Amino acid sequence: MVGERFGSKLVKFYIPLILYLVFLLFPFYWMVVSSFKPLEELLMDPANLGLDIRRIDFRAYYEVLFEHGFIRYISNSVYVSIITVLFSVTLATVGGYAATRLRFRGRAFMSYSILVIYMFPAIVLVIPLYVVFSHMGLRDSIHVLMLVYLAQTLPVALYMLRSYFQNLPVEIEYAGMTDGCSRLGVIWRIVIPLSAPALASVALYTFMIAWNEFLFAFMFLDTPEKFTLSRGVVQLAGSVHLSKQLVMAASVMVTIPILVVFLLFERHLVRGLTAGAMKG
Amino acid sequence: MASLTVKGITKAFGKIRALADVDLDVEDGEFCVLLGPSGCGKSTLLNIIAGLIPQDQGSVLFSGRPVDHLAPRERDVAMVFQSYALYPHMTVAENLGFGLRMHGVPRPVIRERLQEAAQLLGIEDLLQRKPRELSGGQRQRVAMGRALVRRPNLFLLDEPLSNLDARLRANVRIELKRIHRQIKGTFVYVTHDQVEAMTLGEKVVVMGEGKMHQIGTPEAIYSSPANRFVATFIGSPEMNVYEGKVVNKDGVPCFQGAGFFLTEVGLQPDLAEKEVELGIRPEDIAIAHEPATGPRATVEMISNTGSERYIHARLGNEPLTLLAPKDTALQPGRVISLDIDPAKVHIFYRGRRI
Repeated sequence: MVGERFGSKLVKFYIPLILYLVFLLFPFYWMVVSSFKPLEELLMDPANLGLDIRRIDFRAYYEVLFEHGFIRYISNSVYVSIITVLFSVTLATVGGYAATRLRFRGRAFMSYSILVIYMFPAIVLVIPLYVVFSHMGLRDSIHVLMLVYLAQTLPVALYMLRSYFQNLPVEIEYAGMTDGCSRLGVIWRIVIPLSAPALASVALYTFMIAWNEFLFAFMFLDTPEKFTLSRGVVQLAGSVHLSKQLVMAASVMVTIPILVVFLLFERHLVRGLTAGAMKG
Repeated sequence: MASLTVKGITKAFGKIRALADVDLDVEDGEFCVLLGPSGCGKSTLLNIIAGLIPQDQGSVLFSGRPVDHLAPRERDVAMVFQSYALYPHMTVAENLGFGLRMHGVPRPVIRERLQEAAQLLGIEDLLQRKPRELSGGQRQRVAMGRALVRRPNLFLLDEPLSNLDARLRANVRIELKRIHRQIKGTFVYVTHDQVEAMTLGEKVVVMGEGKMHQIGTPEAIYSSPANRFVATFIGSPEMNVYEGKVVNKDGVPCFQGAGFFLTEVGLQPDLAEKEVELGIRPEDIAIAHEPATGPRATVEMISNTGSERYIHARLGNEPLTLLAPKDTALQPGRVISLDIDPAKVHIFYRGRRI
């Protein structure tokens, strides 16, 4: 009986899941394995998917980091991503709160325009922005890049936080105000602690966009010292002496931090922080 | 503590008028109950007093001083919400102490007051718990405690008992009255439950559709309702109210309703030929001993509330409810004659009591 049920579950659920995962993870596996092999081995036996644990070779990482300037690119990317996250979360919190709870002229217009801005595809904006920033002499700068990332992530961040704030019971805020909080005090002491899951999602989303973004980085940045990681990988892949294992090692370095950040934040993405506030 | 004055408050939400020119006086240390059906604007009035929503017109005064320009935190009021609105990320102790901390009260004083309030409400064992680990009744106590520790100018309570089950509600009601007597605070208490209003209130304000219909002691509101709205809203089962005309019969004013006549119900002669409404509470009608001359009604049903039984009968074309005598053995279909005390009859002309 039990075996039978397990058997049908195996067929219906686990086998498709495993196939899906293999399909999804294979490129990553290949990327990691290739990054650990010396170039000769890749060239002599490209079909070999296995990896000899005893012959793991970190030379590609060393070369990418220290000879191809990736230390610099990583620190640029970390800087850009973290600052973008900080600004995006802060602005989206106060902006989303204002759009939810405060009444002001143009409130409805603001809510709509948030979404409209998001609907512009990046490729439409990149050319005019390229021209504008070139004329202003500001183009080749990671701070301008951050501004663009902020403009790209803020609409969604605002939208996410606004819908979360709308579901927070307003009575809790009223209680805070009668208990002696100012409006900012209510945001700081009540709204933010209760919105931790939403703030974590917004931070994660913004970080991923800023970390992975390629198009604007590619168009805007000319000076190698200012390159972000994704821009650096392309630089590497396009260089004359294309070394596959180096590109693979660089790609691993782009991917791993995202995974780490995701796993760190994932624990906070739980819902139901307001449990117990109301009559229930 | 402070007294409260509300002067000419008007508030509209879009096209809906929530409050229309409302006046109210609550004395220092008084327990005032705002009673009305849901949607009558009583919670809105409470929020305006607290400063949580702005009024369109009118003024709120604490001890004679206007507070309209003050933010909620500067008004020093404590509020208990219907939904309790506890801070879910704080322990019970932190919930209770939050208001004091925000007002810059020193820590030892906070600890002392917290203990005092916890003791008063019997929640000393719960101080380290989070709200989600509490039952509904316990949450209600914490919500009360959060207001009590503050020792504010004014306590505002918005249907604080409506989420409790009936037995717990009765207990907390008595407790609340005891607490009020003990701390001698000024309370404004909103409810739609007339039993709550009658048992708790020293002053009861009956509200309906954004207006104040009557302000008075529970006794006054029950025994002489100012208009038809108050008459039918207060009392359970509802007062019998009949529309009809006053006619002169042999020089004596009589009430002519739909299919029945009432004589000797205390009508003034100057009402002759006027359309009036006549109200009689179910407990003010007795069954006359035969042979009797009073109006006759046909028994349709007997209902039982446990402590009392009510006879549902038909008087002419109108329904009639009356309190059954303790030993009644009436069966549906029987005809009874009624004995109405003229002093207990309420007469309304154009909706108002006369």
